[in-house]
Amino acid sequence: MTNSQFRLSAAEAEQPPVVTASGDIDLANVNEFSDVLNTAAADSDAITVDLSDVSYCDSAAVRALFAVAATTKLGLIVPATGPIMTLLSISGLDRVAMVTTRD
Amino acid sequence: MALMHRILERMQSDLLDALGLAITVHDKRHDERPSVIAALGVGSDFVDAQLSGIGGPLPDALAYQVPVLSLDLWTDDRWPELTLAAIRDRAPQHESSWEQVHGAAAVPGVWADEATVVVCCTLSQPASASTVASLINYEQLVSAALITTAAENASAIADIITVLQSRGAIEQAKGALMGLVRCDAERAWAILRRASQEFNVKLRELAVALVEHISGAPAEQPDTGTPITPDDRTREAAGLMWAALSEAPLPQ
Repeated sequence: MTNSQFRLSAAEAEQPPVVTASGDIDLANVNEFSDVLNTAAADSDAITVDLSDVSYCDSAAVRALFAVAATTKLGLIVPATGPIMTLLSISGLDRVAMVTTRD
Repeated sequence: MALMHRILERMQSDLLDALGLAITVHDKRHDERPSVIAALGVGSDFVDAQLSGIGGPLPDALAYQVPVLSLDLWTDDRWPELTLAAIRDRAPQHESSWEQVHGAAAVPGVWADEATVVVCCTLSQPASASTVASLINYEQLVSAALITTAAENASAIADIITVLQSRGAIEQAKGALMGLVRCDAERAWAILRRASQEFNVKLRELAVALVEHISGAPAEQPDTGTPITPDDRTREAAGLMWAALSEAPLPQ
């Protein structure tokens, strides 16, 4: 998929497909984000979403991530501190997804 | 708000582990506490307990406007004061349910400027991402229903407040009947409903009149809106009903 903001890398060897997001995720583009997540999850029982380069995300993104985690094993890569990690702990998404932190 | 109850019943058939479900509305334009507009099981008492200051998924969903999930409520480090002991103190009538509670989830939505709705559930199993995904779908349905109701009938929201006001009194009246006639809540509700039909008075006014008749004190009513004041005919009906039930032999 050739989307500048949400990039999907196909599964490789034992690794699940990876969705790499960047910039802001909010109501304006959350549908695109969901589409990419669903495409990634369609052929795989696990996906990884890399949010390391996401500058801002809100409730819309959290909802999209919960929705995809309902059907797929979800791995998240996030900065160890900052607003995204805070959002994950407030929502409890960190308790149902496998979270890897990156400094 | 029969529609909201139907939505909750559908949720219950989807969430088989649910011990409680509730739809809570908070309108920030009025400086009021959030109100439960429909609930099943322990839903309403669980919302009230969380709002009493011990915290929980619902206040967090309201404050941060994100879905909130918990695998095990009583041990969740986000709400150290939300413990089995604390909830027992606040709602001892659900003792056996509280012991079964594990997970919970709350999903917020905005249905008007400054007005938030939260759909939440408590489960006998840990909540999962599927629980949240399911609540997200229902939150959209609830928000759509609220928007439609508000658009069609401006007084509909005022009606919600009236229903809320009557609920305290109806519960009190049911409790009194259960004690007097020694019956369960369902039978008490049937007696109350039947009396309201026979005397041709509004059920909520009859409940208020009955509570006032028994206690000699005003019935429990929230501070919001206009209090329910039964007329003389309703008061008389309540008195007759109470006298008749007091004299009747215990039903077998």
